[in-house]
Amino acid sequence: MWARVCEVMFGCWLAMSPFIFRHPPDEPRWWWNDFGCAAAVIVLALASFHPRTQWAHLLGIAVGLWLIASGYRDLATDPPPAVQNDVLVGWLLLMFAIIPNDADRPPAGWEERLREEKDQFRVPRSE
Amino acid sequence: MRDLKRHPALHVAVAPWDYNPSSWRQRIPICLIATAGFLIAVYMGLFQWRLIDTVWDPVFGDQTKTVLTSDVSHRMHYWFRVPDAAFGAFAYLGDAIFGLAGSTRRWQYRPWMVVLFGIDVIPLGIVSAVLVALQGTVVGSWCFLCIVTAVISLVLVVMAYDEVWSCLLFLNRVRRKSRSWRVVWDTFWGRPSEIAEEAARELVREAG
Repeated sequence: MWARVCEVMFGCWLAMSPFIFRHPPDEPRWWWNDFGCAAAVIVLALASFHPRTQWAHLLGIAVGLWLIASGYRDLATDPPPAVQNDVLVGWLLLMFAIIPNDADRPPAGWEERLREEKDQFRVPRSE
Repeated sequence: MRDLKRHPALHVAVAPWDYNPSSWRQRIPICLIATAGFLIAVYMGLFQWRLIDTVWDPVFGDQTKTVLTSDVSHRMHYWFRVPDAAFGAFAYLGDAIFGLAGSTRRWQYRPWMVVLFGIDVIPLGIVSAVLVALQGTVVGSWCFLCIVTAVISLVLVVMAYDEVWSCLLFLNRVRRKSRSWRVVWDTFWGRPSEIAEEAARELVREAG
C-alpha cells in the first residue's frame, strides 16, 4: 500500500499549496481547484484500503490528468509557480495512481493459483 | 506461517537467462541508479526555477548555464509547463517507481507493469541520451551533469532490458499457444489462464 500512502501525502501537499504559493485572494477558482483535488486524492487513496472500493485509486488517474490539463489553461504567459505545482503533482499522481495496492504480491488470480499449488503458503491478503 | 513471498515459484530463473530478471537483486540496483538520475535532474531543475543561483560543472564551466537557459529549454518549459530538467526528473522517478512495483515474478504476473517500465527506461532513455548528444551541435555548449544523466539512462537500458525481453517472450509464447489476442490481452493485464500458466512453465523450463 506504499503508493496509497504517498498519494495521501501528495493530497496534503496540494491542500497546503494555495498558502505556500500564495494564490491571489481574488482567484477563488485556483483555491478551490487545489482544495478539491486534494480532497479527491486523499479520499480515493483511503477508499482503496477498503476491500469493496479497492480500485478507487484508479480514479486518481483522472485527477492527475485534470491537474496537468489545468496547467494549459493560460498559454499566453509562462506558467506561474502555482500552475507548475499543479502540473507536477498531476504527473506524480498519474505515476502513482496506476500502482496496484499490494504491488509486491502477485495479482489475486495468480496468487490463488500459487496457493492451490502449495497449501502451506496460505496467507491473508490484507496487510 | 511462512510468507507467500518465499514461495519457490516466485524465485525461478526464466528463459533466455539463467537467473530471474524480476528478482530484487536485479531490480533494486536499477531503482537506486534511477534515483541518482532523479536527484541530479532535480538539482538542474532547481537552477532552472532560479531557486539556486549557480550550477556545478567541473569540466565545461559556465556552459552548463548556457544549456539550462537556452532557447530550446525555454521552449520545452513552455510545452511541458515545467522546466525540462524537472520533466526529466519525472522520467527517472518513473523508472524507480515502476521498478519497485510488482512481485519477483512480474514478467509473468504483471506484464503491463514490466512493459510500462520498459517504455520508460528504454525508448525514453535512448531519446534523452540522443538529445544530450545533440546539445553540443544545437546549443553549441555542453553540460557535464546532462552527460552524466545520459550515461545513467544508457546504463539503465542495459540493466533493464533482460526483464522486458523475458516478458515479451512470455506474451509472444501465449499468443502462439492460444492464437487469440483476447488471451494475450488478459495475460497482459495479469489475469491468469491455463495457457498462460503453461507458457510460463515452458519458459522456466528453458531457462539457463
